[in-house]
Amino acid sequence: MEGFTYHNIFETKGLEYVAIAIFFVILIPFWKILNRKVTVVRQVQKSPGILSASSLRIPQGLFFSRYHTWAHLERSGFAKVGLDDLLMQITGEVKLQRIKPLGDRIVKGDLLAEITHKGKLLKVFSPISGQIVEANSELADSPGLLNEDPYVKGWMYKIKPSSWVADTNSYFMAEDATQWAMQELERFKDFLGASLGKYSPQPANLIMQDGGELRDQPLSDLPVEVWQDFQQDFLDKKSIRGNENCFLNKK
Amino acid sequence: MTSQSFPIAKDNDGKSIFKFLVSELKPKGKWLTPFNIISIPIILLGIGLIVIRYMEGLGAITNLTQDVPWGLWIGFDVVTGVAFAGGAYVVTFMVYILNMKKYHSIVRVTVLNGFLAYAFYTGALLLDLGRPWNVVNPVIGNNFGTSSVLFLVAWHFLLYMLAELIEFSPAIAEWLGSRKAKRILSGMTLGAVIFGITLSTLHQSGLGALYLMAKDKIHPLWYSEFIPVLFFVSSIFAGLSMVIFEGSISHKVFSDQISHTNHKKQNSIVHGLSKICAVTMFAYFCLQFLVFIHAQRWDLINTPMGYWFLVEMIGFVLIPMMLFFYSYRTSNIFTIRLAAILTMIGIVMNRLNVTVIGFRWDAAVPYIPSWMEIVVTLAVIFTEIWIFRWVINRMPVLRESPEWAREEK
Repeated sequence: MEGFTYHNIFETKGLEYVAIAIFFVILIPFWKILNRKVTVVRQVQKSPGILSASSLRIPQGLFFSRYHTWAHLERSGFAKVGLDDLLMQITGEVKLQRIKPLGDRIVKGDLLAEITHKGKLLKVFSPISGQIVEANSELADSPGLLNEDPYVKGWMYKIKPSSWVADTNSYFMAEDATQWAMQELERFKDFLGASLGKYSPQPANLIMQDGGELRDQPLSDLPVEVWQDFQQDFLDKKSIRGNENCFLNKK
Repeated sequence: MTSQSFPIAKDNDGKSIFKFLVSELKPKGKWLTPFNIISIPIILLGIGLIVIRYMEGLGAITNLTQDVPWGLWIGFDVVTGVAFAGGAYVVTFMVYILNMKKYHSIVRVTVLNGFLAYAFYTGALLLDLGRPWNVVNPVIGNNFGTSSVLFLVAWHFLLYMLAELIEFSPAIAEWLGSRKAKRILSGMTLGAVIFGITLSTLHQSGLGALYLMAKDKIHPLWYSEFIPVLFFVSSIFAGLSMVIFEGSISHKVFSDQISHTNHKKQNSIVHGLSKICAVTMFAYFCLQFLVFIHAQRWDLINTPMGYWFLVEMIGFVLIPMMLFFYSYRTSNIFTIRLAAILTMIGIVMNRLNVTVIGFRWDAAVPYIPSWMEIVVTLAVIFTEIWIFRWVINRMPVLRESPEWAREEK
């Protein structure tokens, strides 16, 4: 071992090696803790991307029909109609195709409009009878209003009602509307499990029953068959007739 | 898929391009907003000062000397502004290269911000050049000056601004309602993104490299041969902090432009960015520490400049890093924003420490920027915000693309 000398570790930049080693050691817990599942339990209900009862907007002063449309009688005597928030949150962004020209007379339950999303289509039926006097021209420029502001800027038609009282006496208002929307959301969860199971090659009914939440716009990426089922179960007149007694509290 | 009563709506409503542009130049909305009341006099004063600067020379309105030839305009406008513009290359890298689609909705606004920052802050460089008309020389080849770092910086800035303009141009095409232009320009996006990221990594560090020449002028706590690396790494979280900060303001000021879905996404985007900031700041702090012990600067710590160095490193790197870490873990959007603001202050401090405060710190007459330099700097920033607002209010940047453009996707 002749000629061998020990070097002073601090002169040979040893301190830098030590510092690098220390940083790598700190990096391990830093990285591990950072990537642990984030604790957002408290915010789950409000966080983006989840469709839950608390994320639904339900103005208490509108008449909600079982067709997932709403109607609101204005001071002028004209009624505005539109699509409800639950439908919009389920389908995601849609485009509106107008079916009824201005001036046409329409009867409650008639086809009012069609909404489409990537070639998939849903028919929407009128909540009231009357004559169409105006269509919301703003929807042409920004169809997103249907989703963003379904009750104020996103109205579809202005209708001069011919039998307002008779048409709306079975509709939901105020706390009934909220309660009904919750029920519809639950019904939709069951529907999704069943309908997905029908068309998906793998059994997919694994989410809701064990307390999972729906993701936002659950219908948007699902196949056209599920849309058809949804039409039948939620928007068609048949499904609505089956449940004519609307005011839950008055049963 | 459009019915008669529901025609395709172009942004320009079928007007001729010229008429459309003239109508778009007109101001929209209220005039007497608090921001306008503050910014208009400062911009006018700034313009006046710039005129004086060009008539009388730099000495007329700045406190620059032969000893300290680079002051606030370079240190703050150019060096700090470019660091904050770093968000554009980070976000485009995440979206187009790593395919992190979650961040797609902030790409346009970030790129616009980056482009304007470069255009204005490098524009401010012209104010500081003794003979600004010579600025074209490195480009046209009259005198390339290839031995200077400024050659690199000049070309990078020029090319990067072009790349960002191309990245942003589909929004301009959508605004003008030109399908064909939109198709061509969208096709060029990916190329521009890759080109832009390459340029960014080089010139963020290139700006640091400028200061390698000033070894004897910069305080040893801030000078090291690793300035380019430190500048590059810090530009990542500087840019992202700017994105978080600017996003929070835009979502309030331009809330009518932003769709319901994008509003909801904003928090999750901010949350995701905070994680990236925490990790890059950790790496940056580690690098700074290594540079510190590599240069064996222990004895400098117990001096006034040393305390200032500690304030920067601990107060505005370590603490915001821990704050990002903590608020990412607890999903606290408020503390993420707070951390972003602290980080931005830290970046301003760091860049000014290298370029102004620690630059000739030992001069007999220390450089303190004149009020006129500060006014001109503010005027540049306000003008940029004006243009930014003008674009946001007209082009589909925050709001969704028009219907026809989305159908073509």
